[in-house]
Amino acid sequence: MRSTRHVVSETGDPEAGHYSDPPLLVLTSLAGGPKHGHAMIEDIARLCGTRLGPGTLYGAITRLEQQGWIEPLRPEERRQPYRITAEGLRVLRAKLTTLHKFSKAGLKRLEAV
Amino acid sequence: MNRRTARLLVRLYPRAWRERYGTEFEAMLERGQGDFQTFANVVWSALGERLFPTVPDSNTGPTLFQSWCARAPWAMFGIAPLVLLVAAYFAACFILWSGWRIFLPGMETPFAARLHGVSILYFGVGRWLYFYAPVAIGWAVAVTAARQQSRAIWPVAGLVLIALAGGAAQVQTYRASDGGRVSLDFFFGHTVHTLVLFAVTVIPYLILRIGRERRVGV
Repeated sequence: MRSTRHVVSETGDPEAGHYSDPPLLVLTSLAGGPKHGHAMIEDIARLCGTRLGPGTLYGAITRLEQQGWIEPLRPEERRQPYRITAEGLRVLRAKLTTLHKFSKAGLKRLEAV
Repeated sequence: MNRRTARLLVRLYPRAWRERYGTEFEAMLERGQGDFQTFANVVWSALGERLFPTVPDSNTGPTLFQSWCARAPWAMFGIAPLVLLVAAYFAACFILWSGWRIFLPGMETPFAARLHGVSILYFGVGRWLYFYAPVAIGWAVAVTAARQQSRAIWPVAGLVLIALAGGAAQVQTYRASDGGRVSLDFFFGHTVHTLVLFAVTVIPYLILRIGRERRVGV
């Protein structure tokens, strides 16, 4: 997964707390259950305040599907739900663990400042 | 967003991508807001998909051009651009020579005269070819090489050759008894011009390469 931008910080600036790594955000959203595109955008906005553009979202979906980390389910009319695969769950767990360690270490350093 | 705009935006994507994701993407666009930010986001993503497709076209194999890029990158990125540049310079010289005869007969030089009407356009095309052909060809090499995921050595070698030729080319004109003559000489002393040409073409190539790697790597 690619690098992250705007890692969460507790400041008054609403933009400063945004987190933008579309593939990771999509995986995290789908870890809560299968969703179609619009539901993913809303879920991600609730999770971290980042509202992905439709083009960005489908760019991430395309790559994640090619990696085999998500898969399409039976279409619901014109909407296409996706779910995370076992491999996707494994990757997500590994990435979030790394991020967790990183954020813990970063926050610890911030406390010392 | 209304259905018509959504359909129009989906059409910006390549056919292979549309066949796989078009219907669901269009449905999602219709549900969402039709503001400028959404519009810009979709246009930008579609442009990226067109430049660096992530969904391969299952109906067609590699084109002749693509297979040549893979089989003989030295020819496609090294020799072919140079041949194109020579052709562009030849065309520029021909325009200058013929324009001199048509619009400025009897003049000592085609450069010092005041131009009028269609001659401005005529000489303008030649001037554009002479000054911008190296940049245009360099950008074509940059986009093609980044799209074809070619190894960097051949496109960079091609861009070096183009910069050297573009930096060294000089048009010479002189009056002869049988009319004006135009020739192209090469003087390898314009280091700054050569370096600028190289930078103007290699920087877009590097940006496109990095962009491609970022798009492919999840």
